[in-house]
Amino acid sequence: MQKHNQKEHLYKLLVIGDLGVGKTSIIKRYVHQNFSPHYRATIGVDFALKVLSWDAETVVRLQLWDIAGQERFGNMTRVYYREAMGAFIVFDVTRPATFEAVTKWKEDLDSKLVLPNGKPVPTVLLANKCDQGIDVLMNNGIKMDQFCKENGFVGWFETSAKENININEASRCLVKHIIASESDPVQSIEPDIIKPHLNSSKIVSCSACFKS
Amino acid sequence: GTLIKPGSKPPTTPVKLKKVSTFQEFESNTSDAWDLGDDDDELLAIAAENLNTEVVMETAHKVIQNHKKQVESAELENSCMQRSQSLPQTSTPPLVSGMADYNTSVTPALTEREASRLDKFKQLLAGPNTDLEELRKLSWSGIPKRVRPIAWKLLSGYLPANVDRRESTLQRKRKEYFAFVEQYYDSRNDENHQDTYRQIHIDIPRMSPEVLRLQPKVTEIFERILFIWAIRHPASGYVQGINDLVTPFFIVFVCEYIEEEVVENFDVSSLPEEVLQNIEADSYWCMSKLLDGIQDNYTFAQPGIQKKVKMLEELVSRIDEQVHRHLDQHEVKYLQFAFRWMNNLLMREVPLRCTIRLWDTYQSEPEGFSHFHLYVCAAFLVRWRKEILEEKDFQELLIFLQNLPTVHWGNEEISVLLAEAYRLKFAFADAPNHYKK
Repeated sequence: MQKHNQKEHLYKLLVIGDLGVGKTSIIKRYVHQNFSPHYRATIGVDFALKVLSWDAETVVRLQLWDIAGQERFGNMTRVYYREAMGAFIVFDVTRPATFEAVTKWKEDLDSKLVLPNGKPVPTVLLANKCDQGIDVLMNNGIKMDQFCKENGFVGWFETSAKENININEASRCLVKHIIASESDPVQSIEPDIIKPHLNSSKIVSCSACFKS
Repeated sequence: GTLIKPGSKPPTTPVKLKKVSTFQEFESNTSDAWDLGDDDDELLAIAAENLNTEVVMETAHKVIQNHKKQVESAELENSCMQRSQSLPQTSTPPLVSGMADYNTSVTPALTEREASRLDKFKQLLAGPNTDLEELRKLSWSGIPKRVRPIAWKLLSGYLPANVDRRESTLQRKRKEYFAFVEQYYDSRNDENHQDTYRQIHIDIPRMSPEVLRLQPKVTEIFERILFIWAIRHPASGYVQGINDLVTPFFIVFVCEYIEEEVVENFDVSSLPEEVLQNIEADSYWCMSKLLDGIQDNYTFAQPGIQKKVKMLEELVSRIDEQVHRHLDQHEVKYLQFAFRWMNNLLMREVPLRCTIRLWDTYQSEPEGFSHFHLYVCAAFLVRWRKEILEEKDFQELLIFLQNLPTVHWGNEEISVLLAEAYRLKFAFADAPNHYKK
């Protein structure tokens, strides 16, 4: 069935943000087209796969890594981040504290992961639960645009996993930027910055440093 | 000698801290189970050095063969059992059937055996002093539902062996727990505690989809138990996953007070307030005992889990090199699936009735939750070797490993798993000298 000259891309995408902001719900909506108010809290990391017909010649397979939001797992995110090509950072518009955590997540991501060409991975900001009618943060789109520019997001969307708002759009936006970033000149070697953390024995010893 | 030293690591206090003048105060306000030594690391290293590959492979081969036979026979039995109950939702085995009771209805031959087992339990529990060693032996292969609440309280060390002291102990501990509630619970909205409380509050509706947890009364109880525990254990605080660990105790202790066979739809608020308080306090203390033994799973960076995931990898590479290599080839990391196995003690991977049966054994094993669990996880992974080897790509492997088809699992599968785990433990931990040279 596959066309003669069809290209296939596989991208690993991270979905991160504070606990309870709706990361799992967004993924379930995107991949399985459904919603439940009672998804179990993610422990560690959950996987999902979404296949997109990008255009007539291109199929895009998205490997979605749904990463637990509790900070306790924070230092383990390194292991999960490696080789990701893009990320969603999610917050809950009804809980301002989860928006305040966005910059923290972005810094965490950028400090642990860069693209082969040395640039940060394309990241889209999702303002989730926009169906809840509590619009404290969103009443100023210009401010949000400014925030994204300052913090290195390639875009932002108000989303609702419950009402299926903007999730496909956000994903297309991210994939578009990933494809664009791939055509950037690529360095042949992976930057050293993530290398020291690739094997897990290192992580154990790192955690000891943190303790003191 | 034996590698596992039961009771070799009682909660000890770091010596240095004793010099701090306020330590007494700190100690009385908290009950972290401090873990001084790193025995496990040493022991693992010793075990690793002493293992002779040939002997290991031979043993592993035997284990696999044996396991295969068991699995095949179990599958045969199950396929008969499941066929009759595969379609309609309502025919899934009841949640806390006590499995033993459940099986009796399937295999009449077991009835007599189970009846005599129940008698043995009753004799043991009657006192005047329950022989705990004997109780562990008997409980290892499953506890009948009717005596499970008291057996769990004894096995966890919550209740004394002496019958005459039990009632007064219960009263004292229940009073103590509600004194904590009195002392701490109002602080849940204070600045330094509100994050903890909020996380617990968000997580409780997001626990395993079974049972009761959405009843407001149950939510209240779980929130109190978890908050008090977190406040009294600042070294770890509340960590996602700990919430799941309350459930088996709560369900088992509720069953002590109700006649209903099926607990799923039971209205907890119909129980008298005093009974609910007893269940709450008992659940708190038994959960605390459990967590004392695995607190390094939940301290910063979760070192206990990282260590155990590594040990699991090591173990699987020895018992089933093919599976290990297959995962490695497809770049599947153990942390990606086994983190949850350790963090939630397999509770997310098997139905609650299976967890309860599993805990009968964990509470009968020395270091059941902290150490034997590792062997159970290894047996659990290898149990799926056929399916794993069939999956040929990273995504499919991970999605399979995170959604293992255990929804129809019951007593039989857990028994096979435990037997296999016991064999592994015996081969790889209890007799390291066997592999010397």
